[in-house]
Amino acid sequence: MRGFVPFLAQRLFRAFIALWLVSTVVFVVMRLSGDPVPLLLPPDAPTSEILRVRRELGLDRPLPVQYMVFLSNLAHGDFGRSIHYREPALSVVRGYLAATVELGLTAFVLAAVVAVPIGLLSAMRRNTVLDHAAMSLALVGQSAPTFFLGILFILLLSLKADLFPTSGRGDWRNLVLPALTLGAFTMASIARLTRSAVLEVLRADYIRTARAKGVAEAWVVAKHTLKNAAIPVVTITGLQFGTLLGGAVVTETVFSWPGIGRLAVQSIYNRDYAVVQCTVFLAAVMFVIINFVVDLVYGLLDPRVRAG
Amino acid sequence: MELTRRDLLKGAAALGAAAAVPTTASRPALAQTTQKKELVTAQSGDVSKFDPHYSTSSNDIRVSFNIFDNLTSRHPDGKLYPGLATEWKLEGQTTWRFKLRQGVKFHNGDPFTSADAKFSLERTYDPAAKTMVATVFSTIDRIDAPDPYTLVITTKKPDPLLPARLAFYGGQIVPKKHLESVGNDAFNAKPVGTGPVKFGSWVKDDRAVLDANPDYWGGKIDMDRWIMRPIPETAPRIAALLKGEVDVITQLPPDQEDRVAANPSTRVAGALYAGLYVLAVNSKRPPLDNPLVKQALSLAIDREAIVKELWRGRGIVPSGPIAKGDNHFDPSLPPLAYKPAEARERLKKAGYKGEEVFIETTVAYVSQDKAMSEAIAAMWKDVGVNVKVEVIEYSVRAQKNREKSFKGVFWSDPTSTLGDPDGMMWRLLGPGGPQDYWRDAKFDELGNAARFSVDEKFRGQAYKEMTKIFLEHFPWIPVIQPYEDYGVQKYVEFAPNPNQQFEIRRFNFKFRRA
Repeated sequence: MRGFVPFLAQRLFRAFIALWLVSTVVFVVMRLSGDPVPLLLPPDAPTSEILRVRRELGLDRPLPVQYMVFLSNLAHGDFGRSIHYREPALSVVRGYLAATVELGLTAFVLAAVVAVPIGLLSAMRRNTVLDHAAMSLALVGQSAPTFFLGILFILLLSLKADLFPTSGRGDWRNLVLPALTLGAFTMASIARLTRSAVLEVLRADYIRTARAKGVAEAWVVAKHTLKNAAIPVVTITGLQFGTLLGGAVVTETVFSWPGIGRLAVQSIYNRDYAVVQCTVFLAAVMFVIINFVVDLVYGLLDPRVRAG
Repeated sequence: MELTRRDLLKGAAALGAAAAVPTTASRPALAQTTQKKELVTAQSGDVSKFDPHYSTSSNDIRVSFNIFDNLTSRHPDGKLYPGLATEWKLEGQTTWRFKLRQGVKFHNGDPFTSADAKFSLERTYDPAAKTMVATVFSTIDRIDAPDPYTLVITTKKPDPLLPARLAFYGGQIVPKKHLESVGNDAFNAKPVGTGPVKFGSWVKDDRAVLDANPDYWGGKIDMDRWIMRPIPETAPRIAALLKGEVDVITQLPPDQEDRVAANPSTRVAGALYAGLYVLAVNSKRPPLDNPLVKQALSLAIDREAIVKELWRGRGIVPSGPIAKGDNHFDPSLPPLAYKPAEARERLKKAGYKGEEVFIETTVAYVSQDKAMSEAIAAMWKDVGVNVKVEVIEYSVRAQKNREKSFKGVFWSDPTSTLGDPDGMMWRLLGPGGPQDYWRDAKFDELGNAARFSVDEKFRGQAYKEMTKIFLEHFPWIPVIQPYEDYGVQKYVEFAPNPNQQFEIRRFNFKFRRA
């Protein structure tokens, strides 16, 4: 594949720049938003205490010095020490990663597996009852706030119907409601997007040509339609997956799921610099990797991209 | 962020209530006994530290008071009982002699002796240790351990409350040899105490597992294991209780109590909070530097309505700065009055010209803080006060608290840590204290004298006079003394402790078995 290697290299470079920018923004913003030390000490702590803790945590050195130290530490995987948990930030975050990936992956797979066939069918049976029903449900899925959906699922499917546990992490049964909640928006988006992408493709000349040539309808769908509709779907879907991993905080809070979204928000309130930086950075890494993969898949699907 | 969630919760709860009510019919009436050997509880936040000297948050206290013991112990009935100390007596004015319990072992097998007690107490105020409880034992001058089962504490001046101070946070006893050998961080990750449960495992924000201590000196508790799950959102926490997934939940808001009470398998258990919810005042900021203005603000609050409407009756109207249940609480004092006409009079007399009065409120830091702020703002507007409510984040509140930079009044839930005004009013409002915005020479003189006097009659008189001064100057505007409620399964028998400790020792907690 000529032209693929420069394409790959360019994408890699962009990924690296994105990561550097993210970490710099986190560094700057966290230091502008307030003093973390009073949160860690009792209200009647003397000022000498405050100064001592500030010095111990390196918060009294000039900003440029803090930044250089920060960047070099990042390169070594040292994200600092969690003020709140009194252990290395990376080890704190690592404890939450498995739960996050488990939930994110399940939500995404559930969403994709359900939404793509529905979107496809809706497009092929345009304006039928199936189409209207599916798209109305999708509208609800996209508009309902995550918090509301989650609580509703707990009250209806867990408390009333006794089908699943109410919250927390456990076996596969504990995954269903949070995955449904987290995946609802994505499921709805993918369904609608697949439908419109397929409709777009179905109108194209090459489909008419294939049909005119007498190609079997199933083959028309499988080879020509899906492959071309996949391009926009994969792109947007990749973005959605990244968001799922990093931004599941509301779902995690409702279902007390021990994921990094919750950890990040709590650490922000606690002004726990190290953990916030680590979480944001790792979430950014995951996001960048997913987008990178999406770019590659996109490049494979659509030769026009590789040339540019 | 929390604002939006609460608003959405109201909408969701309304919808959910319609769906949830039929649950009680569809669920079989559960037996009111159980055979289970595992206690599962849910609270609104996870543990932040297992080391008892590094956190005073209620979510941590509930656990640390069960992993560790104190020398003395405050039971839910409000009285002080022996803990790791079996008896104590005052010798002279400033010397307390404690006889320590023999045959007690830490969870790692090390024996408990006076060396551990001395080490633990000294650690709290050791500047090198940098604990969160450094000011709890500020009255102690020196500690001696003349033999393994005797502890002698000498105070700087006569301190009648020393045994009470030992019962609360800061007084948990840690193992000297073990701590010194593993260091603070390892100890926090795997705590070792003498208490009824020992540390099993901890997955952050998921669950803490604590195993029963089979050799506990107070008798093995009525379970093999305790699992503590943090469930931050109220609705899922209550759902978990209603479904039987957890046995006890904490921080049950008054407006959800009907659901728990109506469910055939659960009930509400509460205790009157050993403390008050108050609007603390930055009396340095005009117009709040004028006592007449503050009196007016207090007179303009219809506390009965707040208790009835916002708290569903689960609270009492305070009469002053001393909580009901404390030493020297004066039952003859009337509850703080609601007299809006008189409030207007006082404002006029004060020469109030419409200056802004700020209420800086958090959301769900003090229970119902935002709702009470809005109610009180409306009441103050009615008497002509130019009131502004501002919502601030908890971390911002902590910063303002440190810098004493509040713009007006702010919520506080002072806990009466000693069952005595010294542990609440004086601890917080005294000179140099965390809420030192106002001083009065007579008030200070009385507070100091009462702290160091062993004559209870004298102390009672002193606090009476201090209350009079308080009710003239209102450094706090007390609003309510609420009940703090738990939701429990009916097969759980336990008495809530007003000081927020979660007492699972045998004398207080058991499962009702067939």
